[in-house]
Amino acid sequence: MKLRFKILSGFLILSIMLFAAGILSIYELTKIGHSVQALLDENYKSINAAKTMIEALEREDSGVLLLLSGEWNRGRSTIEDADKDFQNAFQVAKNNITIAGEAEHVETIARFYDRYKTLWNQPVAGTAKQGDLNWYFKQVHPAFLEAKTEVNRLMTLNDQTMYNTASALKNRASRAIMPGIIAIVSALIFTAIFNFFINLYFISPIKKLADGIRSYIKTGDRSGIRADSRDEIGELAAAIQELSTYRRELGQSR
Amino acid sequence: MRPEIVMRYLGFILLINALFLLISTAISWGQGDGSFAPLLFSAAVSFLFGVFPLIFVPPALEITNKEGLFIVVLGWLISCLVGVMPYVLWGGPFTFTNAWFESVSGFTTTGSSILSDIEGIPPGLLFWRASTHWLGGIGIIVFVLAVMPSMGPAAMVLYRSEISSLATDNFRYRTQKTLMIILYVYVGLTVLETLALLTQGLSLFDAVAHSFATIATGGFSTKNTSIAHFASPGVESILMVFMLVSGIHFGLLYLFATGSFRKIFESAMVRYYLGAVVLGVFAVCISVYTANYDSLTDALRYSAFQVLSVGTSTGFANADSSVWPPLSQLVLLFFTLQCACAGSTSGGIKVDRIVLFGKTLEKQIFKLRHPKGVFAIKIKGATVDEEIVEAAMVYILLYLGILLASTMIITAFHVDLLSAFSGAAAAMGNVGPGFGSVGSMANYAHLPSAVKWILTADMLLGRLEIFALILFVTIRRWK
Repeated sequence: MKLRFKILSGFLILSIMLFAAGILSIYELTKIGHSVQALLDENYKSINAAKTMIEALEREDSGVLLLLSGEWNRGRSTIEDADKDFQNAFQVAKNNITIAGEAEHVETIARFYDRYKTLWNQPVAGTAKQGDLNWYFKQVHPAFLEAKTEVNRLMTLNDQTMYNTASALKNRASRAIMPGIIAIVSALIFTAIFNFFINLYFISPIKKLADGIRSYIKTGDRSGIRADSRDEIGELAAAIQELSTYRRELGQSR
Repeated sequence: MRPEIVMRYLGFILLINALFLLISTAISWGQGDGSFAPLLFSAAVSFLFGVFPLIFVPPALEITNKEGLFIVVLGWLISCLVGVMPYVLWGGPFTFTNAWFESVSGFTTTGSSILSDIEGIPPGLLFWRASTHWLGGIGIIVFVLAVMPSMGPAAMVLYRSEISSLATDNFRYRTQKTLMIILYVYVGLTVLETLALLTQGLSLFDAVAHSFATIATGGFSTKNTSIAHFASPGVESILMVFMLVSGIHFGLLYLFATGSFRKIFESAMVRYYLGAVVLGVFAVCISVYTANYDSLTDALRYSAFQVLSVGTSTGFANADSSVWPPLSQLVLLFFTLQCACAGSTSGGIKVDRIVLFGKTLEKQIFKLRHPKGVFAIKIKGATVDEEIVEAAMVYILLYLGILLASTMIITAFHVDLLSAFSGAAAAMGNVGPGFGSVGSMANYAHLPSAVKWILTADMLLGRLEIFALILFVTIRRWK
């Protein structure tokens, strides 16, 4: 094999190694980027929606208490505003189902909320229900708690998934660094091996050849002018041998 | 010594590793799991490092003893390092220490694991994990020699370092043929076991992975609860047969397969090996019957499997032997130290040395009775060289000494005595599971990092039969 090919192969291997490490790191970093985006898209939106729903439910609960105390206008407007907010947040959660089990929670929230809404949608102020705390504690409050608990469950599910995704991100970050570390260590080892081969197969034969030429000049002994390899150094040794033969023949002819 | 020649053969070893990494990459790609990139990158690095010396260094037909030893020891260490790469790149539970532990455990066919959720590992990576067993089992070096006929007379030098030296005294054959025999038997047994496991309803992936682990007497399973996961007497029976067979000298197995049936039973080592297994199963069965199992069939089933698994240094589990009575644990500990025949892929002190130890004891008793008598140790009528007997005795003493030292160091890290001793013995013998917190249904994840490094050193010492490593370390003093 020619020297040029051998040297080229060394640099080529080193380049491929670094290139592969770079590609793998870029691939892992891109995946991290996607994961961060997914984290925001999938979980953060749902968690915010759940928080809004809980807040809306609490406002509705206050509205119901206002109705019970006979404050029809204030109670109704509080409830209607909260209901609007709840419906908006619920739609966000419904359109952002990305985790296993999330759809079931959303469905249950819709059912519980409907049940809760039926209770306060009917007239309260000015009816027999006004001031009836027993009705509130027996029917309204449990329905409110039921809906709120389910929304909390949805939030916990998203919280947990967000935590898991964040932990996976930490793992991905080390995955992105690792090819770089391996490539650096490999490149160092490879450079040492390459240096060893260059010394063994290039520098040493050239030195030997130089010593052989010097010995030939001093003693006329041509045995030192040789190289065992068939590469360019071998060709050089053969050319020097030819030169020495030519010189000898020239000397004899004179 | 010519380092370039050593590098050339290490290059072959790296290329074989790269090939198996590439197969694992293909599996990962097929399954669409997350280990594709780590496996591909590791295959590329291994290939590049492997191919480079082949470009530079011309083939050499003769290699010296020193070079042979260097190729074996460095080949093992480099393979273990290559094995680390896909694990650390994949991440998860694999810190560098954990990845090193898993890799060394794989290549030395120990089968101890730091994984608590094996089923959560991508199939591509699990296949690589099983491959480390298979490659380690045959000894990458032997594999390289069998595939690379260019080595010629160099082969026997490596073979001596690779496989217990007693194996060569036990069975005579020509170098090249020996290596081909080992390869045929190894591949043949793997294929046969895979087919047998497929008939029991295992998926091709599980069948291949478990065959790799059985024939290499490794013990890595693809399931969290090892063989107990299948709860199948059929699967257990197949594994028991192949574990038992894998513990016998591969040359004898080849003779058996080619029609010389009697040879295998004429071997004193095999007769002792089979006798010890039968006695062991009997003792454990009696011990666990009524204490752990109400039915005698169950007691026999679980005790036979565990004795064979430990006695061949495989390390599969179909029951939690750490809750068994002390007698059965002691019997299993004895098998953890002894293991199977030389010339197999099993680890431990080996049956051959135990037989020589027994014969030496017998000789000493005769000498006490007849002080002026001259006694020789004979196996199958032939006198065993004093040097071989002496080497076997020194080996046993050294083995137990290292085991004791390892146990002491491990206990210094606040690991209980039973876990420390059985863990070190299981690592030295390349068995896998011990007792206590490192029992057959547990793992080694909870141990401190330093302990994991000690255990991996034990695994390598056990696999390279101590002397090879000592010679490697003291190579400068060689004459």
